[in-house]
Amino acid sequence: MPKFLVLARGAGMDPRRSPEEMQKVIEKYRAWTEGIQRAGRLLHGEKLRSPEGRVVRRTGGEMMVTDGPYIESKEFLGGFWIIEAASYDEMLKLVSDSPHLEAGSLEVRQIEEMGPRG
Amino acid sequence: MTADDGGAVGGLVAHLFRHSAGRMVAVLARRLGADRLDLAEEVVQDALLRALQTWPYRGVPDNPQGWLFQVARHRALDRLRRDGVLSAKLEALGAEWPRAADGAGGRGVDDDELAMILMCCHPALPRSARVALTLKTVGGFGVEEIAAAFLARPATVAQRLVRAKRRIRAEGLRLEIPPADALPARLEGVLDVLYLLFNEGYAAHGGDNLVRADLCSEAIRLARIVAAHPPTDRPPVHALLALMLLQASRLPARADEAGDLRLLAEQDRARWDHALTTEGLRHLERAAAGETVTRYHVEAAIAACHAVAPDEASTDWPYVLRLYDDLLALAPSPVVALNRAIALAMVEGPAAGIRALEPLGRQRALARYHLLPAALGALWRRAGAPATAARYYRAALALPCSSPERRFLERRLTECERPGGR
Repeated sequence: MPKFLVLARGAGMDPRRSPEEMQKVIEKYRAWTEGIQRAGRLLHGEKLRSPEGRVVRRTGGEMMVTDGPYIESKEFLGGFWIIEAASYDEMLKLVSDSPHLEAGSLEVRQIEEMGPRG
Repeated sequence: MTADDGGAVGGLVAHLFRHSAGRMVAVLARRLGADRLDLAEEVVQDALLRALQTWPYRGVPDNPQGWLFQVARHRALDRLRRDGVLSAKLEALGAEWPRAADGAGGRGVDDDELAMILMCCHPALPRSARVALTLKTVGGFGVEEIAAAFLARPATVAQRLVRAKRRIRAEGLRLEIPPADALPARLEGVLDVLYLLFNEGYAAHGGDNLVRADLCSEAIRLARIVAAHPPTDRPPVHALLALMLLQASRLPARADEAGDLRLLAEQDRARWDHALTTEGLRHLERAAAGETVTRYHVEAAIAACHAVAPDEASTDWPYVLRLYDDLLALAPSPVVALNRAIALAMVEGPAAGIRALEPLGRQRALARYHLLPAALGALWRRAGAPATAARYYRAALALPCSSPERRFLERRLTECERPGGR
């Protein structure tokens, strides 16, 4: 079955949220990921460390390293999941009720698997 | 546990974050010192935030509480090292989440929580600050939630907390269980705060404000901690716990499916929480072990009369009335006098109740208390004078009250205005 990378972007959480509110948010994510897990579709998930991050470029033969999270917009990359789905259509159905969409956005990319590895 | 009782099916225990926050702050602050309460709160908040950022991707760990404590502890160590604190102090933070006391005098989480409760209710702090501090520090409530529960502005609550912590440092308050001779007085302050929390929550139960309803279960949770701990396992604590459990046992029947208020007489007593009733009666028995009778004893006895009666008619009203007389002597207040008048009406008829209630209207404390005209309306209605009853119901509706209460009073008013009344 095709695999998809789901990148979670968001503006981050208000650090003054109360414990009860934080638990409610976690419960929403748990309910969502468990649904996908029960269907046997959730392969992996990781949080990305923040605000660490390096952006590397080579300009004029010289390597340029920029520190900090790579923020082009206000939304930074918080983490990702790898999820199986038969098609983009099915994948979009799986993410349609993700609590992440309440405050952030999801970028869904199919992982290329055909062909021999180099 | 089932999903219905707020438990966790494959998820987190209800209020886990709130309760863990309180526990972790107590454990850390006890080891860091009361003057570093802010640091304890910050690292705990950091740990919860870290969970919020990590668990959605990696899933909830097998031992959420242990995970949170390890993160909070590491943050605390980092902060202390940065501040140049000696390593001896760092070791006091321990490596393991302390277990509950084993009964052999070992110091556990519950001991730390009790010390925190006692400090938050310390008489050196202003009363309003004690309530806010208990909810924030022991209860794990957020500033906004405390403000919502007490209908105050968040800025006001935040300021109260800052001042309370300043006072803790200035007075050198310590996180400890006071010696036996100082304990009864300190315990009185604790019971005062828990009683206030419960009553605030009880008054609002079934209303639109869910945070306020949480105050009841929080007050019971804290009272259970205090009652279970050997030095504070005292009769007045059991009396207050009995009172709260017996009152709470009726909450499931206090509103019907539509969320409308149901009076004691109309409640489906099968819907009362009988496990809470049984637990309440057990604590009432243990409360009787002491020499002194507190207002909590008498109020719990009244609540027990209702809890064990199969219906309103077979309630032992003469005994309830005698208990109200005792209560009026122990803790005189216009609200107690109001409740006594209602019991009097059950014993001697509505006219006697009305005669007892009418002078209360001149008390300034009750001038804007909607339950006084509501009670008069009910008694006039029972006395067969619907027009007079309607006048009182209208007066009650002109005063502030919760929306379920408002709907109830409107329903009664409509009944009284109907031709033929009732």
